[in-house]
Amino acid sequence: MTAEPALPASLRARVLDASHQARPAGRSFPAVQEISPVEAFRRTADALYLTLRALPEGGWSRPAVRDLDVQGLVGHLIGVERDLQRALSGAPPAGAAGHVQSTQGTAVRQAGRRADQTLGEWRRAVARTLIRLAGAGDLSAVVAMPGVRMPLRALLVARAFELWAHDSDVRVTSGLPAVVPDAPTLTLMTRLAASLLPRAGGRDRPGPPALLHLVLTGPGGGTWDIETGKAGVRSRVSIVADAAAFCRLVANRISPASLGAHITGDHAAAAGILAAAATLALD
Amino acid sequence: MDALLAARLAAGDDHALAEVFDRFGAAVYGAAVSVVGDGSSAQDVVQDVFVELWSHPDRYDSAAGSMRTYLVALARNRAVDTLRSELRRIARQERHYRLTPAEPPRSPGEEVLTADVASTVRAAIERLPDAQRRVIQLAYFEGMTCREVALAAGIPEGTAKSRLRLALAKLEAVLDRQLLESS
Repeated sequence: MTAEPALPASLRARVLDASHQARPAGRSFPAVQEISPVEAFRRTADALYLTLRALPEGGWSRPAVRDLDVQGLVGHLIGVERDLQRALSGAPPAGAAGHVQSTQGTAVRQAGRRADQTLGEWRRAVARTLIRLAGAGDLSAVVAMPGVRMPLRALLVARAFELWAHDSDVRVTSGLPAVVPDAPTLTLMTRLAASLLPRAGGRDRPGPPALLHLVLTGPGGGTWDIETGKAGVRSRVSIVADAAAFCRLVANRISPASLGAHITGDHAAAAGILAAAATLALD
Repeated sequence: MDALLAARLAAGDDHALAEVFDRFGAAVYGAAVSVVGDGSSAQDVVQDVFVELWSHPDRYDSAAGSMRTYLVALARNRAVDTLRSELRRIARQERHYRLTPAEPPRSPGEEVLTADVASTVRAAIERLPDAQRRVIQLAYFEGMTCREVALAAGIPEGTAKSRLRLALAKLEAVLDRQLLESS
């Protein structure tokens, strides 16, 4: 084996610069088609509808999430659509109830109804939301729902997150294989998750101060450099994980230990960041 | 390990690109140098290889082999392309001599490229028959026109042209075989 020649001193910088000129860092390959948050919401609602429509009658009484069976879960989603429609009309949230509490009444009222009645009511509620969104105009306007206040653009992606997470809940309890949103939808979800990471954990359990290099691989992935936690001495940490798995963590459907992340740098900070990420879920 | 690196490259991870360069840059450069010499052409080849990897990370298949093997093979192919391009340039120059007696001025870039590949081309020229090597040396290394080659070699201009064409054809075949063996 012959020795490799020494690299010219300036070659590394030249090669990296030329590479970044050809393709900016951070962007995943292949490039993903951009879709609107409204379209992401519609796609995940359609996917959940197809899952629910294929359930046998007995599947609706299986436990899904918290103390709700599948029918109660869909009742919860009927309530969420009503809350969103109210927010889109400009009305403030009724009362101080959070995301789950405000829909609990609608959820428990599904008991005793036929499954197709619950499914039909939720489907019509989604259709009404989409009609209101068609006239919503400015997606950057801040909208307040029970327990959530954010620009409508981000809120719709959070709703896509929620619908996908509940689709997964129904599939798990029904013994169906997991599904992953298409790359354009997943891209919006990973961008939202990355943008929320600096505030993950809230005031009570903020993430550790760190300079995070987050790499999410696979369709819908990308690379971000994020400052997490409150101001202070920031340690450096790099987390590499599958994009869909990271979204499952953010939806609080898997634990940080199940993420299978490759971590370099400050491992303690990485653990804190991943724990905080799981608190971003609405329920 | 290589599969994870490839996934990180596809995710736009600039740290992964730097890591790949630090691990395999010397091997890629060595592969380029073995074909085109250690001038700026070898550095151009290295740049092309890494820009290609970064722009099209999907073209590397970790199931088919290691990233090092892929990059070194890519470097050899790019270096051979560089040599072939130089041979075509010589051939174009020869055709130009046949049409116009004056030698066209070379650009600084052409001069540099010529210097880079000269050692490899020179080795191939050494294998040519004496008569053909003589006209190639006069035309390529001394920059003579066909008419000047004919005068210097003491042969008719038509003979100089035919020897040049024959020598260039052999040169390309010899270089192809040599480069194929080296890769």
